[in-house]
Amino acid sequence: MTFTIPIDNGDAVKNAEADSQRTLYPYVTGTSIVAIKYKDGVLMASDMGGSYGSTLRYKNIERMKAIGKHSLLGASGEISDFQEILRYLDELVLNDNMWDDGNSLGPKEVHNYLTRVMYNRRNKFNPLWNTLVLGGVKNGETYLGMVSMIGVSFEDNHVATGFGNHLARPILRDEWHADLSFEDGVKLLEKCMRVLLYRDRSAINKLQIAKITEEGVTVSQPYSLKTFWEFKAFHNPTAGAEGSW
Amino acid sequence: MDLNLDAPHSMGTTIIGVTYNGGVVLGADSRTSTGMYVANRASDKITQLTDNVYVCRSGSAADSQVVSDYVRYFLHQHTIQLGQPATVKVSANLIRMLAYNNKNMLQTGLIVGGWDKYEGGKIYGIPLGGTVVEQPFASGGSGSSYLYGFFDQAWKENMTKEEAEQLVVKAVSLAIARDGASGGVVRTVIINSEGVTRNFYPGDKLQLWHEELEPQNSLLDILNAAGPEPMAM
Repeated sequence: MTFTIPIDNGDAVKNAEADSQRTLYPYVTGTSIVAIKYKDGVLMASDMGGSYGSTLRYKNIERMKAIGKHSLLGASGEISDFQEILRYLDELVLNDNMWDDGNSLGPKEVHNYLTRVMYNRRNKFNPLWNTLVLGGVKNGETYLGMVSMIGVSFEDNHVATGFGNHLARPILRDEWHADLSFEDGVKLLEKCMRVLLYRDRSAINKLQIAKITEEGVTVSQPYSLKTFWEFKAFHNPTAGAEGSW
Repeated sequence: MDLNLDAPHSMGTTIIGVTYNGGVVLGADSRTSTGMYVANRASDKITQLTDNVYVCRSGSAADSQVVSDYVRYFLHQHTIQLGQPATVKVSANLIRMLAYNNKNMLQTGLIVGGWDKYEGGKIYGIPLGGTVVEQPFASGGSGSSYLYGFFDQAWKENMTKEEAEQLVVKAVSLAIARDGASGGVVRTVIINSEGVTRNFYPGDKLQLWHEELEPQNSLLDILNAAGPEPMAM
């Protein structure tokens, strides 16, 4: 007579999942990243929030990091997976430096590496739960691309992740043009970030804008955007139709 | 209402870590529950990793115990090899390694706090999933839901040791008032350059909150103390 350990329904599901190693759902997540090519390189914007479900739990998370000399990586999605990706890239950059051959990884190479990593994890049903934005400048060539958690990878003049896909990209399609100045680029990104602040529940009003040019990476200090609430229609929206919204 | 005594032991919990000018204060409640039954009403959720680094445990009691046991073991060897006390950052990263690589199986949120000579007092939050976040103060466990607003208002930079400990005790006590999964006593651990101090605050040492009454020995004491007609409307 065999003795079986009683498992209730929940544990049966959990045990099956525990046997096959796979990330099932994200816990601490970052929201949109928005990035554009401009005259001197790439501008990227993100807020500093780490959400835990619907709670805005962490408000000081840097979701954009410099990679080597020529690249800037922004991530949305699970923060622990982003931290792991940064470790992989650290090793990649270290080995690149150890060659000591005067060569260094450019944004194209880093983007390609990330695409391979993300796609291979997707094939094993154990994705890194992130959408990554990779921008950079090397030898005068500006590069901007993104990779999703299922390994979809492409380059473009402007990219956005998460909610940014729906809210920021239409603005960018209309208003982006080649050779934007730094000031115009920042204003354009801020326009997108303000809309995200109004309409994305997981957005917080504390953002950073990062710039990468041939000279290198600079990430701005955290700052907040002013928001506008003084539309006449906002004051008494239900006057004349009590109970409506 | 079935008690489900076979439900996994979970520390509903409220855990807190706060930095102050010179060190850190860690705090926690003392309730461990098995379903609706309180399996241990005086647990110690603040566990030592090294002489100068402690960890607050929340979530599954078993998972958090085994993670902290492994890390204590690794840190012991690390300290021998290094020849000096381990840093808080290294301790946090070891916890992260286990939490991240076993994210599918573990259900524990941890707060690592301690003091080392390089960075002083530091607090690292390691929630589900294995993210590491260095913070001036951190809270975790089911009771922390009730404290986000409280800390937004009450936390200040550069508190003294006494202010920091009072803040931690107040916060845990407020969380216990509203979170059914937290309860018992408030334990605190203060870590700084001078060493480690453990404190213990039973319920009767804490201030009373809304709808809480002064504890009595018996109704009879109230009846005898009060004047005539204590039971009249």
